[in-house]
Amino acid sequence: MHAELNDWSERLAALGAFEAPAGGWRAVVAARASREARLDRRWPIAIAAVLLAVTAGIAAWLQSAQRTLSEDAGQTVPAAAAAAVAADMRAENERLELILARLPERQAMRGSTAFTVAELEDRLALLDDRLSRVALEPNAPERSEQLWRERVGVLHSLVQVRYADVVGSY
Amino acid sequence: MPCISDIDLPVGLVSSARAGDTAALEAVYAATAGPIYTLLRRLVRRPAIAEELLQETFVDVLEHIGAFEGRCPLPAWIRRLAVNRALMYLRSPWHRGLEWLDKDPGGADRLPATGPDPAAPLDASLERALMTLPALSRAVVWLHDVEGFTHADIGFALGRTPSFSKSQLARAHRRLREALRQDDAIAEVTTCTPN
Repeated sequence: MHAELNDWSERLAALGAFEAPAGGWRAVVAARASREARLDRRWPIAIAAVLLAVTAGIAAWLQSAQRTLSEDAGQTVPAAAAAAVAADMRAENERLELILARLPERQAMRGSTAFTVAELEDRLALLDDRLSRVALEPNAPERSEQLWRERVGVLHSLVQVRYADVVGSY
Repeated sequence: MPCISDIDLPVGLVSSARAGDTAALEAVYAATAGPIYTLLRRLVRRPAIAEELLQETFVDVLEHIGAFEGRCPLPAWIRRLAVNRALMYLRSPWHRGLEWLDKDPGGADRLPATGPDPAAPLDASLERALMTLPALSRAVVWLHDVEGFTHADIGFALGRTPSFSKSQLARAHRRLREALRQDDAIAEVTTCTPN
């Protein structure tokens, strides 16, 4: 096993090297000046976008907490009603996914914005993973509705952040 | 191929760079840009994106050199910034949107230029096999096998567990072996085919 790992390491390390592009340093200095100028112009928009995302996240969390409380009080929504709500949530998800798909792709994004986007996408991936297994859970309809509701909240945040970023680029 | 961790920068140069001296920073760029660019090309595959990430990495260096505490060699610190940039890109929606364009690994622009050691043989089969791996697997292979990252380091950088890195590596090695076997088989058929 170790011999094999050493073999891969040696073979991969022996692969040819790439030459860095010519004039790279000048491009770095120019990019830094451009980034500084962009930061001066954009920080209010970025802060607004992050605030929006946080607000939406809190709203989604409050909704979820409220729902948990009402379930604890014995007011469990009947399975059929929960399934109907889940269907509505799925429709809302599709609508938001469509908006996301229509937003122009950016080749460059501020680090903090890219980080927020990556975080939200990770949460989406986590929710998708849970949704793929929810059918196996005993209270599947209620749980499914809750997960779809959370997904809508996260998607809302993602749309707001991406939209603010796109608007800020013009 | 020179390894980033083998780059030995003079202490005086590092001190001047840490103090923000532009000439020293340019010298650091000259010494490290090649290996860092090679690393980025292995991680992201598309030359234009690798160039952009190289640029962004060194803009990060310029902006944060004051935060470099000297606990590790400066080239290793720069490598960490480059890896973070590359992984952020790989997780981004525009990378996922472009991924289908990278299915064909045979593009001539993706093969390396002549390395600094002209005597080093260019392992074209391995080059092709590596390019057939999905971006994340390729990143795990390169970071572990060439850059010497531990599974814990890789797991942390990817926001996953060390086990995730281990299983990705095992799967990637298996795929590399299969791709190399297929490549050998094709070469054999080509050699045996009469004109």
